[in-house]
Parts: sequence; structure tokens; C-alpha cells
Amino acid sequence: MSDELPEDYDLIVIGTGFVESCIAAAASRIGKNVLHIDANEYYGDVWSSFNLDALINLLEQRPEASLRNATYRWHDRSTSTEPISPSHHPWTREALLAKSRRFSIDLCPRILYAAGQLVQLLIKSNICRYAEFRALDHVCMRYNEEIVPVPCSRSDVFNTKALSIVEKRLLMKFLNGCQVYNIKKCNDDTLAFRGKTFQDYLQSQRVTEKIASCIMQSIALSNVNTSFEEGMERTQRFLRSLGRYGNTPFLFPMYGCGELPQCFCRLCAVYGGIYCLKRAVDNVSLDADTNEVLLSSAGKTLRAKNLVCAFGQVPSQIASNFGELRYNISRAVYITAHPLGGEELNKGGGGVNMMRLLTDSGDRDAIFIQLSHYSGTCPEGLYIFHLTTPAASNDPADDLSPFTAQIFQNNEPEILFSSFFTITSSTFSHSNTSPIFCTDAPSYELDYDAAIANARDIFGRIYAGSEFLPRAPDPEEIVVDGEDPSALSEHNLPDDLRSQLHDLEHSTQLIDIGE
Amino acid sequence: MTGRNPETLMAESEENFDFLFKVVLIGDCGTGKTCIVERFKTGNYVDRHGNTIGVDFSMKTIAVDGKQVKLQIWDTAGQERFRTITQSYYRSANGVIIVYDITKRASFSNLQRWIEEVRRYTASNVPIILIGNKCDLETEREVDFEEVRHVSQFIPEVLFVMETSAKENTNVEDAFFCLAMELKRLHDSSDVTADDDDEAIQLGKSKPLNSCSSSCNLT
Repeated sequence: MSDELPEDYDLIVIGTGFVESCIAAAASRIGKNVLHIDANEYYGDVWSSFNLDALINLLEQRPEASLRNATYRWHDRSTSTEPISPSHHPWTREALLAKSRRFSIDLCPRILYAAGQLVQLLIKSNICRYAEFRALDHVCMRYNEEIVPVPCSRSDVFNTKALSIVEKRLLMKFLNGCQVYNIKKCNDDTLAFRGKTFQDYLQSQRVTEKIASCIMQSIALSNVNTSFEEGMERTQRFLRSLGRYGNTPFLFPMYGCGELPQCFCRLCAVYGGIYCLKRAVDNVSLDADTNEVLLSSAGKTLRAKNLVCAFGQVPSQIASNFGELRYNISRAVYITAHPLGGEELNKGGGGVNMMRLLTDSGDRDAIFIQLSHYSGTCPEGLYIFHLTTPAASNDPADDLSPFTAQIFQNNEPEILFSSFFTITSSTFSHSNTSPIFCTDAPSYELDYDAAIANARDIFGRIYAGSEFLPRAPDPEEIVVDGEDPSALSEHNLPDDLRSQLHDLEHSTQLIDIGE
Repeated sequence: MTGRNPETLMAESEENFDFLFKVVLIGDCGTGKTCIVERFKTGNYVDRHGNTIGVDFSMKTIAVDGKQVKLQIWDTAGQERFRTITQSYYRSANGVIIVYDITKRASFSNLQRWIEEVRRYTASNVPIILIGNKCDLETEREVDFEEVRHVSQFIPEVLFVMETSAKENTNVEDAFFCLAMELKRLHDSSDVTADDDDEAIQLGKSKPLNSCSSSCNLT
């Protein structure tokens, strides 16, 4: 095998972020010849996770593309005038940097619904074998200035001290009502709320204020403007994901969300995709005769039938197809030496917890994620707090200030390091005949639904009619026959296996009821 | 019922093992990693060019001290070609095999860079074995075995060095066997048997929804 890069491809993908990696894997999986490159020396682009040194480097570079308004600050003891408490922790700046590699800090952290679209896609495509997950320990909410757990499982509801008996009944009654709700078969009761907000509905159900907060903030993930239909749909999504893997309906990828694009890249490579990092593209043009894309990179001309490009890595020749720059999400990352909330929420040294925050007026919201060392993203004894909100300005710290104030009260938990930045994007105007496509930058969402939809859409436009990421066979199923290992076909299977395959397909369909 | 596990589609006999270890292969392009695995797994040697499409990892169970040790051996899928192996490839590896080609000096000179990657992305103290492949090509030798032995003394993670030939089936089985033995010994002697890992979830192993209970069944 030569080290020379081949020149002709079906598809060249620039950027190894989540959406691009999905498309690269899907194309490679159906036998397309894929080259996947990235100007950075790491996988994941703006969807990546970084160790502490690398994150600081990145923030200092103040890159121009998809990451902007970046700042960071050390909250050193020495600069504080307060007396050092007896529980003084040993985490100086040097101590944190010495553990730099134990950190895996996401630019765009996400939480997965256990029966959500990404989990279904990972299982369906068999990409799940490249990753491990941790079930979230707690879903929390803020009520009366306190952080309390939201009961998720049946035993949670019975055991929680946060709700009275009456409240427990009310909550269960409400959730049962949501579960049987069907948008196509509304009864008179629910029909009356068409076009109204989810909050209107909640209020009509005579639940207590605490139950209402619990549902609005954490179960339906809604705010005062969320429509009735949307709120019901989100509640159902929450309920569908319960009871699958852990105590909560949510999962977090071990070692951070930056692992996920890499899993798709691995599949792409397993099916023959070629990978090149730290490879910038100097020029892009179209071959007028063939409508193929010509790329020049490192003095070489590469040719492809199609090009998919990440927003942040667009060569200047096609940058004119972009609309005005938009601020997508405002982000904050904190490192602390103490978890948020009491012992109940942080058994065994700190939970991997999620909390949704609302402003007092209820019209803006943010997602708070606490990661302990159990997630593989920080050293033991330290915690990463991620805050994400839709950007309202070019000042992420200001956008997040109402939420920051809700988390940190009286300087607790004490902050060791903080950082703010904005993820930007822009709309790409695609002309029908162009072989060049551009993916969306990360938007504000809890799971990956919009990102997957973006990947499916682009894949569908390039390879209309082809299946998006069909199941990759397990190694045991691949019959290596001479030089050409071919994927297993059902007809080659022994009888016992074939019947079991049908059973398996049947049970997969049961799992996929969320679609 | 038949003797197969509906989740893995594997015959039950292959399911019986006492230990499962994930072993990842790394090393420069063209050092014969895939051939080594192929030889170990099937006993065959295939002089193949290019990547093995669709093959992710190989499984083989061997007996060590009367216990069944199952090795899950991961190949690079060609991502070593431009040094773009994903971090996630290294995650949760129990052992690492670095392969160099005794007829290519450069493949040995890159050893330090591979060691760096292992240190960066695997859990601490994951054992490494070093394999010098293509020892059948004695006349083209560019890397002296004694030199490798000497160098490896300064790399604490390296358990042992061995020269192999996938083509002539020299030492291939021994290399995997020694690694398996060492992994089992390490596992036996460690008190903490992967407590943290127990909670990590592998998808695709969940029950169908109808057999799960959830809070919404309450009344």
C-alpha cells in the first residue's frame, strides 16, 4: 500500500464534525469511495472534546470560523481576599494543568435520550460497538432556590422526599395522561388546547406549582412559549426513554461527546474511507465539463463527484454562498472542586447530572450538565459544568448570566476555571445542480436530532434512494472467502441463524417505536 | 432452541469464556498487522493488498492455565496510514500490540510516537507488546533484534519483544498467548476488577421496550 493519496473519489468530506462524519460513514457504508479530511490535527472540528491544555490553546487562538468570542479565566486563590477555608482544596492552576490529559472538555456537549434518534441510529447501524455510555445519575431542577432531583423511575417517585403523597399522585396522573395522548386522536379535553401553550395545559390540570416546574423544566423541556403539541411530544419522548439503561432516560457518551464523530469515522474507515487530518484545502473549483469538484491541497489536485464541507472549514472560493454570520449558541465551561447540589444528588463522589434552567420570566432556557470523573471527562475530585443557551448576543457571558446566577450562589460551588465562547453558523445557499454541500454548525438542542436530520438530508440529496447507515455486520458474520471478504447475505446463513435474525429484526422494530 | 445467542448470533460454545480482553493493534502502514491477526485467527496467510473492507475486529478464544481467555483483536482499518487513528480506538483497550517491520528501519523509528499515543489515550499502565514482523526476510533485515531489546528496556509498559513471521507462521500464536497470559495475570492480581467500568453501558444490549418497566405504568 502506498502512502500516496489517490486522486479520484466519489465523495470528499472536509471537516470531521458530527454531521460530516455521519455523511462520510453513510457514503462509505454503501460502497462509495470516500476521502475525509480536516484542517485540524484532531477529530471532531467544533464537535470535539479537548484536554485542558488544548482547550486553552484553542481559546487563545481566537479562531475566526465557527468558534468566536472566546475568553477564559483562572479563579486563583491568590487573587481572592477571602480567608482560606479549612476545607481548602489542593487544586491550584498548576495542579489542574498537571492533570490536563484527564480532561475531555466538549465544545458542544449533548445528552442522549435512551430511545432517541441517535441511540436508535447507533444501534441500527451497529456503530454502537465503538462507544460506551453512562446513564445520567440524576435529572435535577431548581425549585425555591434549591437544586432538587426530578423523580424519573417508579421507585424514585415513591422514595423521593421532594414530593408529598398528593403531589406524587398528581404527577403520575399527569404523566399517564401524556402517555395516552395521541395527536391524531384527541379527545375533547385535549382538543381544547390546540394552538395554546403547554403551560396553559399544565395550569388546567390543577397540578401544584412544584409539579408544574418539574414538568416544564425537566420532563417536557419547555418554556412559556412552547406549544401544547410540542410540550406533549417532548413529554412522551422523555417517557419513551425511561427504564432502558439506567435510572434516568438519558445517556452521556463516556469520555465526552467528541468520541461520537470518531465512531462514525471508524465505520467509514472500516469500509475503506481514507483519513487525513491536518490537511488544509487551498482551492476549490468545478470542472465545467463533468461538474466534478476539483480540490487542491498540499500541491495536489483531488477530484470528486461530490463535496461535503463543514461550515467552519469552507474554502474561500465557496464562502460567498453563505449568508450573514449568525450566533447559534452561547457556551460556558466551568471547572469546580465541588459538585452542585447536596449529597443526595452526588453519591459516591458526584453524579453525572442534567438540569434545565429557565429565566424568571420563563421565556429563555439553558441546559446545565454536570460531569464527574465517572464520565471519563475529568479527574477524580473535579467537576465540569457545561452551560448552553441559544445565543442572544455576541457576549456569551452576558447571555448566560441569568443562569450562572442560579447555579453559583454565595460563591458556591467555588469556581477554579471558567470559559465562555459562542458557536456561530450561517445559512448556505445550495443551488440544485451544485455538487457541493455544506453542513450546519451545532445548534441548540439536547440530543442530536437536528444534526442527524441534516446528515440524512445531505446524504439523501447526493445518494437518493440509498439506505442511510444500514446495519454493519459483526465480524463473526463476515465470511472471509479468499481475498474478498463479503458481507453476509441472509441466504448464506445456516437455518438456525436465519430464524434468529428474523427474531432480532422483530425485536429491533420494537425498539424503534420512537420513530 | 438452537445453540446460538440471539444478541451476538454466535454459537453458545464460543460464548463460554472466563475473560474477555480488548487488544488493539497499531504500528506503521504495511507492517503486516492484518496478516498477523489473520494468521492467528484462521491459521491462514493471505498476501493481500489494501484494506480489509468491513472487518473491524477478530475474536479468538484460547486456553490459559485452564481458563478460557477470549481476545477481541482490533485492527486499524487503515487509519494509521496518515496517522489518523481515532482516540476512541484506544479506549477501553486492555492490551496493545505495536507491530514494526524488521525490513523497514522507519517502522521501528516511529516506535516512540506510537508509545506516546498509547500513553495519551489508553488507561494508565496498559501493557504493550512489541512485534517485529517479517522475520522470514532475514536478508532484508534493517532492524537488529538486540537493539530493539535494548530500547524496550527503557519503556516500562513494554512487556516483551518478539519477532514473528505471519507468512511462515513463526511465533504468531506465541505472541498472542504470552499477551493473554500476562493480561490474565494482571487481572488476577488487581483487586479492583473494573468497578468503574461496570457502569458503562454498551448500546444494543437493551431489552425490547415491551419487557421494560417504566414509571409510566403506575396508576
